[in-house]
Amino acid sequence: MNYIKQIITVTRWEYSRFFKPKNEAIGIIIMLLLSGSLYFGGKYALSESMPEIKVFVLNDNNGTLTEILKNNFTVQQLAPSQKDIFIKGLNENKNNVLLDIKNGTIELYAYKNNRDIKKLKTYLDIYNQQIEMQKLGLSAEDLASVLSPASTKETFIIKDTSRNRLILSYFFAGLMILAVFLSFAYQFTAITGEKQLKITEQIVSAISPQVWMDGKILGITLTGISSMITYSLLFILGGVIYFQFTGTSVLTILEYLHFPSIALFLPFALMGVLIWNAILAAIASVITDPNNSGKSSLMMLPLVFVIASFLVTRDPDSGLSVFLSWFPLTSATSMPMRWAITEVGISQLIGSFLILLLTFYLIRKIAAKIFRVSILLTGKEPSWSEVYKFVRMK
Amino acid sequence: MLKNKKNFDKMQKKVLRVESISKTFSSVKALNNISFSINQGDIFAFLGPNGAGKTTTLRILLDIIKADDGQIEWNSDGNAHRIPKANQIGYLPEERGLYLDIPILKSLTYLASIRGMDKTEAKKSALEWLERLGLADRAKEKLQVLSKGNQQKIQFIASILHKPIFAILDEPFSGLDPLNQELFIEFIREINNQGTTILLSAHQMQLVEKIANKIFLINKGEELYNGSLSKIYKTFENKKIIELHYKSALNENSLKNFKEAENIDVIENSIVKLTFGQNSDLKTVLSNLAQLEGDFDISTHKPDLHDIFLYLVKNH
Repeated sequence: MNYIKQIITVTRWEYSRFFKPKNEAIGIIIMLLLSGSLYFGGKYALSESMPEIKVFVLNDNNGTLTEILKNNFTVQQLAPSQKDIFIKGLNENKNNVLLDIKNGTIELYAYKNNRDIKKLKTYLDIYNQQIEMQKLGLSAEDLASVLSPASTKETFIIKDTSRNRLILSYFFAGLMILAVFLSFAYQFTAITGEKQLKITEQIVSAISPQVWMDGKILGITLTGISSMITYSLLFILGGVIYFQFTGTSVLTILEYLHFPSIALFLPFALMGVLIWNAILAAIASVITDPNNSGKSSLMMLPLVFVIASFLVTRDPDSGLSVFLSWFPLTSATSMPMRWAITEVGISQLIGSFLILLLTFYLIRKIAAKIFRVSILLTGKEPSWSEVYKFVRMK
Repeated sequence: MLKNKKNFDKMQKKVLRVESISKTFSSVKALNNISFSINQGDIFAFLGPNGAGKTTTLRILLDIIKADDGQIEWNSDGNAHRIPKANQIGYLPEERGLYLDIPILKSLTYLASIRGMDKTEAKKSALEWLERLGLADRAKEKLQVLSKGNQQKIQFIASILHKPIFAILDEPFSGLDPLNQELFIEFIREINNQGTTILLSAHQMQLVEKIANKIFLINKGEELYNGSLSKIYKTFENKKIIELHYKSALNENSLKNFKEAENIDVIENSIVKLTFGQNSDLKTVLSNLAQLEGDFDISTHKPDLHDIFLYLVKNH
């Protein structure tokens, strides 16, 4: 059985072990239901409705305040003699509010401050504006003119389409985080689980540690990429639905999907996930007891680098951004992000990608070496110096 | 006549040659200058107590770990190889391990396919074996729901499903009840009759002597005996074992009178095994037995493999 055929067999096995379309579909349906109920529930909860409070007005001699409030609140006039009784009764009548106009100041009495009171205050501001306008002899048009914003002619380097590309680059970074998280979970389960179940000895008596490691890395990478694609499609679908609800043209989604950027992102993302899977596989290989190993926390290491890629969006042409887009542990995310929001030469793209390829080639070799030696270590976990020795072993 | 000669040559073909292998873990010498060879059609048993170096040897043969010194040559297909070809080798590891959360049939098919067997054929063959072992109706169940004995049956199927030329079975009887041990002996005989050469390691000598034609006795990483089973029995056929089963407390000092005994073994402070050679004086032995203190039953028998092993360990 040749090397490629063996790798394909192991890759297919690992992929089918972890990528479960049925579970994925159930997860998506639950997520859709949850998002839908949160969206509609939130919309309903925040929807405009008649406030529950009853507003009683005192000393509104010309009826201006009542006139302003009557369309949005239940408003009643109150006789001055009833004021004290009214205030004492607020403990029982918690929805009642009293507005007493005294020498240009409005005294407000209510059981407690709440959302309705906040809304009421906005109308009190309008009332105040009208009173002040009357004093100054201004018309409503005069006031609108005074309050209008400055007339400016705007020219931006980052245009609307650049903003869309920035959103796309954030989306790329988000997808990488998703893929790395999934790789972390699957790789950890796959390798430490197999070591604990003593399956590895059976497997490596049939295939070389390198085949096993390559198959595992490829299989779990494909799982991560499959989830990435599934969730991207779901996100696009969600976007379409959102635009329909908000009355925006569905075609708006195309403004965000910059296809050359996507075409660049896919190979970079694939290499990035492969590298991280190789690193995670190497770390998982030296963990003998996942519950008590100090090395388990290292499995979170990739996230630090993926999150560091976000720095590119601050200034894509800075020295740091250029470094991040070449450094193999960040370039898989940083380079497509930079390319989406600024100009990057083709030589930079090719150079960065070649470094990624070379890094993957070396790390998968090291991972297989570490695995080969640590496979039978089920008791004491090797120290870092021992791991270093494994790597140097022929 | 010529045909018989050809068969004889075929039977004598060496499929594995191990030359002076040694292995040290930290400061522990796990194997010291071990050499042996296995011919096609053999059932070769590697025997020794726990920690003797049996599993280390098997792992070295499969290139799972490396020997510090020595040479290994596989010749299962007419060409010499340092590492055996996956499709020609079956391996039952000492530490059982299969995917617990995956259906049995799927696991078996995968393990056979990584050894080069066609997937459809692997599935068919797995179902046949499951049928024979009374587990056909559980093919789609996950391994974790099976009993320990049944899990071992699955592990056994996994090691021979792809019809290997050579099968390495590390402690195949471990943890099995007597009925299943007999069943496994039958299966090992059967696959051997079908052409698979067997190398098995075990510590249950009474089981091994039922099937092996060659044995390698090992203790503390060193060879005690390497050769045919018949030859070692012949070497020890003139020896006699007298077993004393004590019902009362045993006084070990009283055994000092048996000066003509070649070997005295005291097992769990209640059984005494006295080994006598051909020239031992029976009168003196009986006289010494009569003088022994305590209440015990006496039985005699020819040395079995276990007795021979104990004798060799003591005299090594």
